[in-house]
Amino acid sequence: MSESILLGAVAYDPKVVTIWEGIREYFRAEGVDLDFALFSNYERQVATLLAGHIDIAWNTPLGHVRVQRRTEGRARSLGMRDTDRDFHAKIVVRRDAGIRTLADLPGKILAVGSRDSTQARILPLHFLRKEGVALDRVQLLPFDTDLGKHGDTGASELDVLRALADGRAHAGAVGDLVWINEQSAGRIDPQLVDVLYTTPGFDHCMFDALPSLSEAKVEAFQRALFAMRWEEPAHRRLLELEGLREWMPPREEGYDSLRRALEETAEW
Amino acid sequence: MVSRAGAVAINGGDLALGGGLLALLRPALDLLAPGGVVALRSSSAGVRHDLPSWCRFERHTYLECEPQSDGSDLHLVGRGRFAVAYATDAATGEADPHTGFAPLGARVERGGPRYPFTINRRDSAPPPQTTRQLYDQATLAQWDAARDIPWDRVQPLSPIVERAVGQVMTFLAENELSALYVPSKFVARLHPAYAETAMFLATQMMDEARHIDVFLRRARAGGGALGVSSVTTSRSLLSLLELEDFTEAAFLLSVLGEGTFLDLLRYIERHAPDEVTAEIARRTRADESRHVHFGVMHVRQALGCDAALARRLEETVRQRAATLHGVSGVPAPIQDALTILAAGSDEPGAVARGHEAFRELLSDMHAGRLKRLVHAGFTPAQAQLLSELHTPNFM
Ligand SMILES: [Fe+2]
Ligand SMILES: [Fe+2]
Repeated sequence: MSESILLGAVAYDPKVVTIWEGIREYFRAEGVDLDFALFSNYERQVATLLAGHIDIAWNTPLGHVRVQRRTEGRARSLGMRDTDRDFHAKIVVRRDAGIRTLADLPGKILAVGSRDSTQARILPLHFLRKEGVALDRVQLLPFDTDLGKHGDTGASELDVLRALADGRAHAGAVGDLVWINEQSAGRIDPQLVDVLYTTPGFDHCMFDALPSLSEAKVEAFQRALFAMRWEEPAHRRLLELEGLREWMPPREEGYDSLRRALEETAEW
Repeated sequence: MVSRAGAVAINGGDLALGGGLLALLRPALDLLAPGGVVALRSSSAGVRHDLPSWCRFERHTYLECEPQSDGSDLHLVGRGRFAVAYATDAATGEADPHTGFAPLGARVERGGPRYPFTINRRDSAPPPQTTRQLYDQATLAQWDAARDIPWDRVQPLSPIVERAVGQVMTFLAENELSALYVPSKFVARLHPAYAETAMFLATQMMDEARHIDVFLRRARAGGGALGVSSVTTSRSLLSLLELEDFTEAAFLLSVLGEGTFLDLLRYIERHAPDEVTAEIARRTRADESRHVHFGVMHVRQALGCDAALARRLEETVRQRAATLHGVSGVPAPIQDALTILAAGSDEPGAVARGHEAFRELLSDMHAGRLKRLVHAGFTPAQAQLLSELHTPNFM
């Protein structure tokens, strides 16, 4: 068994316990002594990683870019889900709101998710600004649900979709994951709403580690992680719960837009 | 088997992704091997936004969007490598416990949980064609205990004969209960690749339920009480219930036990004091002959696949005989009742004839077992030994 690795994750849902108990068991069967600590919010998890009390943090994009910034880019990124690559946000509109293009948004009500949600607030607003939308003339209807969870619960996105469905908003910002899932599940009325705009792609969650994490731990963690297989029944259950089919190597370029958005709004 | 085309074209009209389009798109992708392409014509503007996102989550490849002259789009989607179902047509060798309850012939998605089936080999299940035929026969031959037995013709009998009938029916019902329980143990262990076997066992269990019902009805119809359950019977049936191997159980229950019961039921029919009892014995024996046939086919198939099996079955019979060691002869309550049944009265001359008939029954049972054992694939010498070691309880 390798030296013990302590991983931090945020308990945004009871299933997080199931996921990490399962992954811990799998890692141990692979000879990697992994344990985990659960946090109620990403701010505490990031602080704990930076203080060196945990080895690895399973971070949202917002957590990730903050770790990168506070370590001046020296933190190590260890891996991400396939679904974390090329995430998009959508601007969805009511068909009866008379919004044909982004230029029609001023004067309308735009529902947005939690202020710490990358996909339902930070980046959609950033990209609308880049597209030249006069956001000061758009009335925002914010849903600051589950703050600290960085949008993981998807609750604020469901709030946005509800506001659209019942007419409290003309338009709304959601991540494509929630938008596609809700459509696949038949919970969206296509007669009532339509998608107007898709943002450029950005990357989502990442396993972050301090630069001081030993090479042996990095190697052990990545070896076990990347050996998980969708076709393997025991793995598949965990991968399904965590929302991926395949773990992918890390990459940094997918976070540039988020960094710029945080610079613009000085919300670091 | 569906042919695995390399490309499929579908027309999505103005359907939104969440408005029914997936019901066209997903089955089209399912026709393709990984790398195959679906060309989707769509006039929905929303699909331009939603299709690439959906492809990303499902790990299909969104290739491109070609605008068409009529204003619609032609979206090209490459089938990804995940969730490709595999065929389960061939039932050779070991059945895959990950296919669960998927019927044989269905295509199964990889990554399903492992099922706790333990009977996973073709050679431990009877041949499918025979099983299927016996299943069809069984469903056609179902009869109804209330409708098909002339209960209104039960006549008053002398008390001693009525008590004998009650005892015989008690013994039969007790043994039938074991014949219901023993196969039920194995149904849930059978891999569904051999579903026809589970289905046949279901008909057998239904038969046994009906037998239990008619025997108990007959016992009560004459106004008498049920008879005695002996320790020998109890011990003999427990040794059946405790078997954990499907083939061993089929051998002991069906070939030896139910086989012996064929002769017992013929005896009861011949000596029945009334037509109701005779009809019950006739109908139950017709059902039992199916159970015996199935058991013989099962053991025959298994003996053909496993050279060590004959020895193992002999050992099982020996062990069972050891649990009944010290018991000499047929349990007294059933022996006496069968004698009185054949005698038809308590007159000593009649009882002597009844006793002679019972002795003949035992030798008929032995001869019947020899015939069935040889038919199942044993040598005459093995058959002789196995028949002699068989339980004095008949089952
Ligand atoms: Fe029976
Ligand atoms: Fe039977």
